[in-house]
Amino acid sequence: MQEFIEKLKKLKKGVDFEHETALFDNGLLDSFDVIQIIAMLDDDYDITVPPSQIMPVNFNSAQAMWDMMKRLEDE
Amino acid sequence: MTLTSLTFFGFVAASLIVYYIVPKKWRYLVLLAASLAFYGIVCFKYFPFIIFTALSTWAGALWLDKVAKDRKALLKEHKAEWDSEQKKKFKHSTIIRRRWILALVLVLNFGILAVLKYYNFLAEWFGNIINMQLPMVGLLLPLGISFYTFQSMGYIIDVYWEKTPAEKNIARFGLFATFFPQIIQGPIAIYSELAGQLYEGHDLSYENIKYGAQLIFWGLFKKMVIADRLAVVFNTLFPVRNSLSNAYSLLLLVVYMVQLYMDFSGGIDIARGVGCMFGINMAENFRRPFFSKSISEFWRRWHISLGKWLKTYLFYPMAVSKAFLRLGTWISKRGKKPSEEIPDDSIWGGFTFAQHLGRVLPGCIGTLITFFIVGMWHGANWRYAGYGLWNGIIILISMILEPVFKWLLRKLRIRVDTAGWRVFQMIRTAILVVLSVVFDIADNLADGISMIGKCFTPVLGPTTHLGTEVSTGIEAADWIVVITGLLIVFAVSLYQEKTGKHIRESLSRQPLWIQWTLGIGCVVVVAILGMYGPGVASGEFVYMQF
Repeated sequence: MQEFIEKLKKLKKGVDFEHETALFDNGLLDSFDVIQIIAMLDDDYDITVPPSQIMPVNFNSAQAMWDMMKRLEDE
Repeated sequence: MTLTSLTFFGFVAASLIVYYIVPKKWRYLVLLAASLAFYGIVCFKYFPFIIFTALSTWAGALWLDKVAKDRKALLKEHKAEWDSEQKKKFKHSTIIRRRWILALVLVLNFGILAVLKYYNFLAEWFGNIINMQLPMVGLLLPLGISFYTFQSMGYIIDVYWEKTPAEKNIARFGLFATFFPQIIQGPIAIYSELAGQLYEGHDLSYENIKYGAQLIFWGLFKKMVIADRLAVVFNTLFPVRNSLSNAYSLLLLVVYMVQLYMDFSGGIDIARGVGCMFGINMAENFRRPFFSKSISEFWRRWHISLGKWLKTYLFYPMAVSKAFLRLGTWISKRGKKPSEEIPDDSIWGGFTFAQHLGRVLPGCIGTLITFFIVGMWHGANWRYAGYGLWNGIIILISMILEPVFKWLLRKLRIRVDTAGWRVFQMIRTAILVVLSVVFDIADNLADGISMIGKCFTPVLGPTTHLGTEVSTGIEAADWIVVITGLLIVFAVSLYQEKTGKHIRESLSRQPLWIQWTLGIGCVVVVAILGMYGPGVASGEFVYMQF
C-alpha cells in the first residue's frame, strides 16, 4: 500500500494521498488524472480497470483505489 | 402543447391531481400515462420511434441480464467439475454473447438516430464527392430523439456493465424512457439516479409544490422575459450577419450565447420544477457555467447531463482502452531517459516532454473524439463539428501545455490565488465560449473567422460595413428589461456561487407574506414582461431541435 501511495504521489504531485478521502469529489483529481492512475495500474500492477469501475467512489482515496485493485485482482 | 403554454400547465395540473389521488403503488402508472399522452399530443406521428426504443432497450436489457444470471448459475453448478481453463472459456463465451446483444441494441437505436438526423447531410456531402445525387429521407426528427435515445442507451450499457439490474416491468421502464418533463430537451438521466424516484409513489408535499412552482417561474422568467427578447435581436441581426461590422458582430455573438443559456437553462428549470411537484429530483443541467475558469470546467457546468453521459459511456471507455493506454506508454518510453531525477519545478513538471505527452495523450485523443461527437450531436453540419473541435482543441492544448503555463506563472511571479486572477480566468473562458458560437452562426469557416476578426475591430456604431443603420429589433425599454433581468440572474448566481445554497432555502425562512409577495410578484413580472404575440415563438426552445 505504501509503495502504491508513493507511485500516486509521483503521478500527481502535491496531493495528500495518505489522508484525503474525497480526491475526486473535491476536484483534487480530474478525469485526466484518473486515466493516468489507470495506466499506472495497467503498467505496474498488470491490473485492467474496466470503464464500469470508473466512478468517484473508487477514486476518492488511495484506500478506495487499493480496494478496487484487490477486487479486480480476485475476479 | 409547449413547455410555456397554458395548455401544458393545465396538463401538468391535471396529472398532479390524478397522481396524488390514486394509491401510491399505481402512481408511476399515472406518470407513464401522462408521458405517453404528452408525446402523443405533441408528436403523434413519431410515436412508433420512441416506443421502439423503449421496447428494444427493455427487451435487450432483460436478455443481457438472463445471460449473466445463467452464467452465474452454470458456474455454480459446475464449480467442482470444471477446471479454471474451462471456467475461463465459458466466461469468455458469455462475454462475447453479451457484447453482441449490447451491440445489436446500440446499433438499432443509434442507427435510427443516425439515419434520421445525419443521413440527408451525409448523403448530400458524399454525393458531392462522388458527383452523384443520392436519395434523401423525407422525415423530420422525432421530438427529443437524441435525449431519449442517449438516456435509454445509457441504461442498457449500465445493465451490460452489471451496474444496474434489468427492469422486468415494461411499464416501469417505459416511464423511464418517456418521462414527459424531460422528453423535450433533457436533462439526460442516469438510470440509477432517476428510476427509483419515478417508480416510488411520492407523498403530496407543500414544499415540493412550492419549490417546483418557484423553479417553473424562474425558468419562465429566463425564457420569456430575457431569452425571447434576445431572440428578436438575434433574428434581426442574423440575416445581415455577413455585412455587420465592428461591435455589432460581437453583439450578435454575445446575444446568441446569452439567449442560448437563458433559453436552455430556463427550459430545464421548467422541466425540473414540474418534476419537483411530483416529488422527483431531476439531474442538474447547469451550474453557473459563466463562473468557469477554464473550458474544461465550463463543460462540467454547462449541459452537465450530456457531458456526464459522454464522459461515462464514451470518453472513459475510449481513454482507458488497451490501445490508448499502450499508445501513451509507448510515447512515454520514447526520448532520452534522464540521467538524474528531474526537479518538480522544471518546465514539464518533473517529467521529460515524452513522459508528459505519454501521460496526457490517451485523455487528449479521447477528448478530441468526444468533443467531435458533442459538436455533431448539435446538428448535421460540419460547422457543428468545428464547434466541438474548437472546445476539444482548447482543452487539448491546455492539457499538453499545463506544466509550461504553471512554470511560466512561477517565473513571472504571477499569484494565482488572488480574486483578480480568478476573474481574469473567468473572462478569458467567457470570451472563448462566446467566440465558439461563431460555428453555429456563420455560413462557413471562412465567414466565421472573418466574424471573429470583426469582433475585435475597435470601431463602434450601429452600422454595417456599407454604412447603413442597423436596428437591434427591440426598443430601449426592452433592453432595460433584458439588462435588469440579466443582473437579477447574475445576482442569484453569485449568491449560489458564494454560499453554495439555493436562494429558495433562505427564501423559505422569510415570513409567509414576504414569500407570497415575491411569488405573486414573479408571476406578475412573467405575465406582464413575458414576450407574446407575432414574431415571438415562446414555445420553441433552441435545444428542442437537437
